[in-house]
Amino acid sequence: MNESTLFTVTFILYIVAAFFYLAMLFTKKEKWAKTGRALAIAGLVSHTAALLMRTFQSGHAPFTNMYESLSFLSWGMVLAYVLIDRKSNIPRIGPYLMLIVVGLVALASSPLMPKEATPLVPALQSYWLWLHVSVTLLGEAFFAVAFVTSILYLTADTEEKKNKMDAASYRCVAVGFPLFTLGGLVFGMVWAYKAWGTYWSWDPKEVWSLITWLVFALYLHTRIVMGWKGKRSAIITIVGFLAALFTYFGVNYLLSGLHSYV
Amino acid sequence: MKSAWKFFASVKLAIVLLILLAVASVIGTLIPQGRTPAEYAARYGQLAGVFTGLQLTSLYHSGWYLALLFFFALNTIVCTVSRLPAKWRRAFSPKVEAEPSGLLAFKVKSRFGKNVSVAEARAKLEALLASRHYRVKSHSAGKRLCVLAQKRKFGHFGSDAVHLGLLVVIAGGIVSGLAGFRTRLELSEGQTAPVPRAPFEIRLDRFETEYYPQGMVKAWKSTVTVVEGGAGVLTQAILVNKPLTYKGFSFYQTSYGSDWNNPKLEVTIKKKNDPSFSRTVTLNVGERAAVDDKDVSQISVKRFVPDFVIGDGGQIETRSEEPNNPAAQVEGWKGAEQIFSGWIFAKYPDFEQMHAGKPTDLSFVLQSYRGSEYSVIEAARDPGVWLIWIGCLLVTSGFFLAFYWPPFEIRVVIEECRERTDVTAGGHAAKSRESFQAEFDDLMDSLRRSA
Repeated sequence: MNESTLFTVTFILYIVAAFFYLAMLFTKKEKWAKTGRALAIAGLVSHTAALLMRTFQSGHAPFTNMYESLSFLSWGMVLAYVLIDRKSNIPRIGPYLMLIVVGLVALASSPLMPKEATPLVPALQSYWLWLHVSVTLLGEAFFAVAFVTSILYLTADTEEKKNKMDAASYRCVAVGFPLFTLGGLVFGMVWAYKAWGTYWSWDPKEVWSLITWLVFALYLHTRIVMGWKGKRSAIITIVGFLAALFTYFGVNYLLSGLHSYV
Repeated sequence: MKSAWKFFASVKLAIVLLILLAVASVIGTLIPQGRTPAEYAARYGQLAGVFTGLQLTSLYHSGWYLALLFFFALNTIVCTVSRLPAKWRRAFSPKVEAEPSGLLAFKVKSRFGKNVSVAEARAKLEALLASRHYRVKSHSAGKRLCVLAQKRKFGHFGSDAVHLGLLVVIAGGIVSGLAGFRTRLELSEGQTAPVPRAPFEIRLDRFETEYYPQGMVKAWKSTVTVVEGGAGVLTQAILVNKPLTYKGFSFYQTSYGSDWNNPKLEVTIKKKNDPSFSRTVTLNVGERAAVDDKDVSQISVKRFVPDFVIGDGGQIETRSEEPNNPAAQVEGWKGAEQIFSGWIFAKYPDFEQMHAGKPTDLSFVLQSYRGSEYSVIEAARDPGVWLIWIGCLLVTSGFFLAFYWPPFEIRVVIEECRERTDVTAGGHAAKSRESFQAEFDDLMDSLRRSA
């Protein structure tokens, strides 16, 4: 079995998982969520295998172009969801998250994204590629789960559901924010210093990471010191996720700068 | 003074500053930074003046952005310092005495009676707390014993470590800005250049570009020698991601380029009437090359430009240093007599402009042109960088403490009261309340059930 077959198998598993989760949503029967979760985990396993195979075949980290990094991000999102689900046990996150994952995997599989593994350009030949990109994308994956729980907070109808979603959002930010800070900003600065001799150049991608960081710093201060919870926290989380999304995706297509790889 | 302190001790100010910094930073990514006035005028028309006036075109180095950062730093210092003494007391020299009624006001609490002596209850409690890694302090007064148990005290200081780390990073940025310097060195093979402010020179021994089998660039590699007092002291290859560091200076492979002052050219001479005739000569600018033909004995190249353009005054210029339209001015000689002169274009071989003294059937093709390659090495010294790494370490460990090292605190009052012993306990955890509640209930359960 090669990487693209495994990737297709993963895609199918995620679609079927999303289908079962949606069945849970419409029939209100929690048993479908169990099937959905099992399929999502199966998808995660085959996705892991696909990423490993990609790494062995290309000889470098599996996130050096948009196809690879979308694949890795969606892998991180499923992983983050499975971990949060174990702690929070909110099956309602499943359908929405899996739909986003299916969307991302579909985007990665689309002809828009060149799939061939190309050798690394000199700037990317560093072990910091592994540390910087994987940790940042994992942080962003947790932000994505926080985004889903925040939307669900805003649309929840009972106080109990709202409290659960608020707690789950905080849990995601508590994992995502340190990862994003370490991977995106700290490792990014170390790598920039090693490659370019300057740890900070006010490049658009750097500035947008800083903006994302400022939004989540705002989230923590308003929440912990000023006691903002619930609606306002949810809105700040959504803004923070959108900033992270723009850092990851938008900067490359809309703004020009040094960081023109992925 | 007091009101200024109060102003900067406010978290509301921090929130306002976070929002202002975020919004300002967004603006700086929407307006391209550090371009020429002409580019701004072309892009924004009348608004260009407003943008430049507000320093939006060099936003991150503008006075007002730096002022925002300064206020942010001041706010962080005052906020952290003003909250630190109370936290410190709470963690390291807390009051052990407590009233049972006070403990019952805690969110996490328990109260029960036991038929054992105060001393027995105490021994049991302390053993239980120790098994859960709590540090215990106690105070006994008459028939009452107060116990304070704490664990993961350093978790109180997570946010302080993050704040301190940020300040150290900002300090590092200031040091880098004031004392750091960087400069570009353009070196051809064999060339030695002094490094500004350094007591040594650097020589480029070799510059190579390595390619993958698919034809993509694999590496740019400059082999350099550090020359000190006329003698080479260290030879090392510099690659992208592999800088050379020597005596506080670092050298980075940043770019490369071609020097078009004296390129190596290849010119092919053909005859329109004799398609079988073809002769190729290799020469530099200003050099004559022998053709040894009856019609033309020698050719020379008078001038070469990498990007041919005719300027406003009709003069020939180069538009850029990129080989976009390489052209050479060739001259043909028959003995000492110049028989023609004209420009030939590598990308437009059919478009030759000859000014021949007599009509000629010769034609010329600029086959290849190769400027001597030079390597661009950036030399930098940044004494602020260590502060940056220390700050990053503090921020990272602060995050760990703040999110994953929650301090737990349990207070217990054991009192002898009419032939039995009353136990009242209250607990507090600012974070991880669920796991704290579970641990607290478990501890109290074990204590109640113990004989």
